[in-house]
Amino acid sequence: MGTNRMTLVSIMATTALFVAGVLCSPVTMAAKDPVVVGYIGSFDSDTGKSTIRGAEIAIEELNAAGGVLGGRQIKLVKADTREDVTEGIKAYEYLAETEKVDFIISGSIDDVSLSWLPRMAEYKIPTLDTWTSYVGIIDMVVNEYDKYKMYFMNVACDYALATLYVDFGKDILADKMGWKTTVVLQEDTAFGGGVFELVDQMLAPEAGIEIIDHIVYDTNTVDFSPIFSKAAESKPDFIYLISSVRSQVPSSQYVKLQVPVPMTGINVAAFGKDFWNDTGQMGGGTSTLSPIPSVGFAMDDRTQAFVEKYEAKYGSSRPIFPHFNGFNAYYGMYNAFNAAERAGGFAPLDAWVTEMENEDLKIYKDGKLWLRYGFWKPGEIEPRTNREYTHNIKFDITQPLDDGAPSMVVIQWYEDGSTAVVYPEKYANGEFGVPSWIK
Amino acid sequence: MAQVIIQGFLLSGLYALIAVGFTMIFSVGRVLNLAYGVYIMLGGYVYYVAVQILSLPKFPSFLLAGLAGIVFGVLTYLVLVKRFEKDPIAVEISTLILAVVMQAVIVLIFSTAPRSMWPLIPGRFEVFGVSILKNILFATAVSWVVLGSLMVFIHKTHIGRAIRAVSMDAKGAAVSGIDPHRINLVTWALSGVLGAIAGVFFATYTQLDPGMWVFPLITAVAVVIVGGIGSIIGSLIAAHIIGFMEVATTTWISADLRGVFTMALIIVVLVVAPKGLLGKAEL
Repeated sequence: MGTNRMTLVSIMATTALFVAGVLCSPVTMAAKDPVVVGYIGSFDSDTGKSTIRGAEIAIEELNAAGGVLGGRQIKLVKADTREDVTEGIKAYEYLAETEKVDFIISGSIDDVSLSWLPRMAEYKIPTLDTWTSYVGIIDMVVNEYDKYKMYFMNVACDYALATLYVDFGKDILADKMGWKTTVVLQEDTAFGGGVFELVDQMLAPEAGIEIIDHIVYDTNTVDFSPIFSKAAESKPDFIYLISSVRSQVPSSQYVKLQVPVPMTGINVAAFGKDFWNDTGQMGGGTSTLSPIPSVGFAMDDRTQAFVEKYEAKYGSSRPIFPHFNGFNAYYGMYNAFNAAERAGGFAPLDAWVTEMENEDLKIYKDGKLWLRYGFWKPGEIEPRTNREYTHNIKFDITQPLDDGAPSMVVIQWYEDGSTAVVYPEKYANGEFGVPSWIK
Repeated sequence: MAQVIIQGFLLSGLYALIAVGFTMIFSVGRVLNLAYGVYIMLGGYVYYVAVQILSLPKFPSFLLAGLAGIVFGVLTYLVLVKRFEKDPIAVEISTLILAVVMQAVIVLIFSTAPRSMWPLIPGRFEVFGVSILKNILFATAVSWVVLGSLMVFIHKTHIGRAIRAVSMDAKGAAVSGIDPHRINLVTWALSGVLGAIAGVFFATYTQLDPGMWVFPLITAVAVVIVGGIGSIIGSLIAAHIIGFMEVATTTWISADLRGVFTMALIIVVLVVAPKGLLGKAEL
């Protein structure tokens, strides 16, 4: 009897040891390795930080909910592009080769995204761009789908931004304000050139606004007085600014100089709440196109909850309010991981790409479809422009905009520092205006 | 045309103010201080913090900015320049590294985002249909006063004459009982305060950002090369040539080509008149 008991205990102990060994074995531990997400973009800019923080909050939520892909935690690693094209390439290589990331979320500016795109095609890493809007990249996905299919862009591309902006030009600038002529002031970047091309082709024929002069300036310009003087000399009804880099500079000098011509357009610095202090409280009277959500934008409950988490977590550290790409990063992470769950992971690539193409996150406010994070599929034609936008966010640029989120809204900064959306009508909660010094 | 003349004149005044501190160091110490732009940046940021963050009055904040320039100028001389004074290349490299390091420090504290500064004198008025900012007009007036005062200081005061003596021949000056190191200290302090003052005006006219030291440095180098080493009058003339041509280029040709003219002018002067317009051995 004693011997039998000893044998039983030995067997049980051995079994226990065996089970413990299996549970702690490298094979089993590998199942709990984190999913590695790589951020590529600037560490210092408001743009970059917005994407990082949007991703961080989404990751915290997903990890707190028990992780992803069988209980794995998500780990975020980062590579700084310093908004430089050479650094951008090195950053992508670092994420691919050193960190061996499963997925990349980008807050890169357009020129930098263009620089690392070939690397992305080589490494075949699923990648989501949250800020870059250059339509040329979407055209690359359309025309060379197999090579670039791992790329998704969840901000409306330039073409979509410009198309809806032309509607604003017609409805507000031309019809309501009676403006017929403009001088375009454009920064010398890929983004600036791309937007100008579209505006040039569409503004006059569709909105009836004539471009009477076109001034291109270097992004390192420190003195805009001769530029504004030259623009004003042509006596346009308004100045159309295309500025994505250091936009605070022309904005604040426009106010200091009290340029006697209204100005609107694309002013990236005006996307964030820090714009007010950056311009020395001299940013009033500025209006800009902005992807959504934005300052002045009425939030639905889920997006408002994200904003409150952001403000609680990051406090007074700039940017004090996420730029649109921060929201894109937040919802984009959910898109990417929902797709990964259905596909069984980020690899094999084709399975994940198919599921990401099927992603369609719809957000409602007061019963209306308010925001939409889905993507145009290969072969799908956008009805208004009659072209493909494969893997671009599924924007809606056909009035009454009830099939998804608009590609953009127009934000107005008032001289007391408040903001509102003034176009399109469905999202408007304020009136378009000009600075008080313009009679 | 009125726009080019008026804006060119105003901008030239600012450029002269920017360049004069650099002229002094180059003329006296024969040193290419590539950290000069940092004095301009420092002056701007100190004034910004004092007025727009700490809400101090403008004039004491202006003095504070000047003091920061003096301290930094003196430290640059004592820590770097004096140590490497026998090796001009080492001085150039070390001052350039200092500038890059200071830029990184500014980024850490203030981030990369440009900031706008409230003008020293707000408001604008029009002359012949051309908009003139009171702030830039004030900067132009100050630059003439500073340059005039500097001329008087250099030619009429004991220390000024000592500075001229050292700029002519440091060894000879030493033999005459002038301490070149003390004179260099005074010169670097002067350069620092002039740079910082220029920085306050430059930043209120344009904007603050961590890279703002580069453009004034290039402008200062251009003014000194074109105007001639050792000549304050030459610097004034060169500042006006460059200021007018930049405004004219922007207005009549292209805003993109604004800086190209300055670069081209430097090359032409180096080839045709290497000593500059009014270059001489001493101040």
